[in-house]
Amino acid sequence: MAPLLEILVAPLRYPFMVRGIVAAILVGIVCALVGTYMVLRGMAFLGDALAHSILPGIAVGYIVSGGGRGPIFWWGLGTGILTALGIGALGKGAQVKEDTAIGIIFSGMFALGIALISTMRSYAVDLSHFLFGDVLGVSPSDLWLTAGLAVLVSVIVFVFYKEFLVLAFDSTLAETLRFPSGFLHYLLMVLIALTIVVALQTVGIALMVAMLTTPAATAYLLTKRMAPMMGIAALIGAVSGIVGLYLSYYVSVASGAAIVLVCTGIFLLALLFSPRRGIVRGWLQSRG
Amino acid sequence: MNSLALKGNPGDGERMAIMSGRHQAFGLWGLLLLIVMAHGCAPGGSTEVGPRAPVPPVSAVGLAPDEPLRVVATTSIVADVVRNVGGDAIALTQLMPLGADPHAFESTPQDAGVISDAHVVFINGVGLEVFMDRLLASAGGNTPVVTVSDGIRLLAFAGEHADDEALADEDHGEDDPHVWFDPNNVKVWVANIESALSELDPDRATTYRENAQAYLAELDALDGWIREAVTVIPEDRRGLVIDHSVFTYFAHAYGFEQVGTITTGGSTLSQPSAREMAALQEAIVDHGVRAIFVSTTVNPRMAEQLARDTGIQVVPIYTGSLSDASGPAGTYLAFMRYDVGRIVEALR
Repeated sequence: MAPLLEILVAPLRYPFMVRGIVAAILVGIVCALVGTYMVLRGMAFLGDALAHSILPGIAVGYIVSGGGRGPIFWWGLGTGILTALGIGALGKGAQVKEDTAIGIIFSGMFALGIALISTMRSYAVDLSHFLFGDVLGVSPSDLWLTAGLAVLVSVIVFVFYKEFLVLAFDSTLAETLRFPSGFLHYLLMVLIALTIVVALQTVGIALMVAMLTTPAATAYLLTKRMAPMMGIAALIGAVSGIVGLYLSYYVSVASGAAIVLVCTGIFLLALLFSPRRGIVRGWLQSRG
Repeated sequence: MNSLALKGNPGDGERMAIMSGRHQAFGLWGLLLLIVMAHGCAPGGSTEVGPRAPVPPVSAVGLAPDEPLRVVATTSIVADVVRNVGGDAIALTQLMPLGADPHAFESTPQDAGVISDAHVVFINGVGLEVFMDRLLASAGGNTPVVTVSDGIRLLAFAGEHADDEALADEDHGEDDPHVWFDPNNVKVWVANIESALSELDPDRATTYRENAQAYLAELDALDGWIREAVTVIPEDRRGLVIDHSVFTYFAHAYGFEQVGTITTGGSTLSQPSAREMAALQEAIVDHGVRAIFVSTTVNPRMAEQLARDTGIQVVPIYTGSLSDASGPAGTYLAFMRYDVGRIVEALR
């Protein structure tokens, strides 16, 4: 067998690698789709905040189930959606600005999560799986759940494509067209919460925001049109998942971190060499 | 990498505190530390835990005739052995609750109070109780600390993905703290505990000696029982795979081989890379391993997936903590009999 082929095929002998790669691809694509809207609307901080604020949900799910995957998942999802709606409601009021609302709710929720975890002194260690992800421990049933939610998110993104597009680029136009912008805003928040719970197992809470924003931000350096941007972002997300897991296999580093580092690497390459506004091109132009 | 993990090895609560702080001025350093620890290993040798504050020597304390010696022990296993030696003559406090994972335990302010009130603290040592140095410092450093494992011939972590030499080398030379999986090591504990209690409380030295003698006989009986029990396992089925390296001493004493562990290093607190998982799967197949043993305190997800892929079973056992008194592993003796029973059942 050719050496290159051998390098590519060798890790696939292990079923856990195959499941991990499939999960990482699904997560990479879903994160990129939703992340595109987040990047265009400047919601990266919100994404990070939402990821952290599902911690109390995970803790409660853990306490009630003793570690079962299902309850942890649904509690995390419920908490994410509640937090998203709470931030939206508080940010809409005149009392506080939205980023202040995010800061308050997210740190409060995270503190609640830490407080809950500290009450179960015996099992705190297991939550490291949720902070950093355990994509190598994906079971076939996890994979089905991930796939189902990935399809759900993609369908919603597809159905509301035009509405989100207008909202992302021109909120005044959205008002003029009498779009239900409040509803769309909440829907986007719920989508983000859903995506975070889907991606939880792959990269964990701590690195979540990278999966949401980096591929989309990279695509934004390469194109300004929405559909290609989503496509490129999804491609980058999927490739990062695959390359990251191969890196974890050959260099022996933690999987979640490897995936995010690949994302970051691709972003830096695009930043330097983008034909549209890469640093290298700008530099060449200024000399010529 | 290890040295960094050793310098500050905060428990989970503190790690999370670092995380929430990452949005503020600490910036990348908190994140960096956190990643290093997420993938890092826990300390192995007690000598590597950095300079420990000087601890007062063990010497006789003045006790009223009916006043018991106030004794603290860290893990439930150390506490059970101390209870057997001290009997009714001591007032024993067990620091870590049942079911607690010693690698991950996070102490509370009350723990510091308990320690500063105690006449003596017994610890397993060999780097098991990573929280202990900070706790002793906050307790004021006036309580003598006895490392019950002093004098045991320590072994390095064995069988960490034995097929992958580059990985095995990383941890070479670190001592494995799980000494209690060989009852002969626990006999050393008993001797250390008896001599410490007798020096602190010379009036009751006879009681302590008699208790220790009786318990040593039980440990000998346990050792003989294990030797007998494992004879039914054929030579070619004596490969052990476990979530973290707890079988080093057991394997050495009773003729087993610890083929691999899911997390590297001696701790439960790290995540394996894809390469490590792959090496472990190879080792399971190559050695014809028939079961993956998993601590009751550890998330079994990785083990379950590995077992599914290799078609073997996952067997939960007790490792770092006893069960409650009504459970199957309420004392050290019951704990060893239970675990050995499960091993025999799975491998015979």
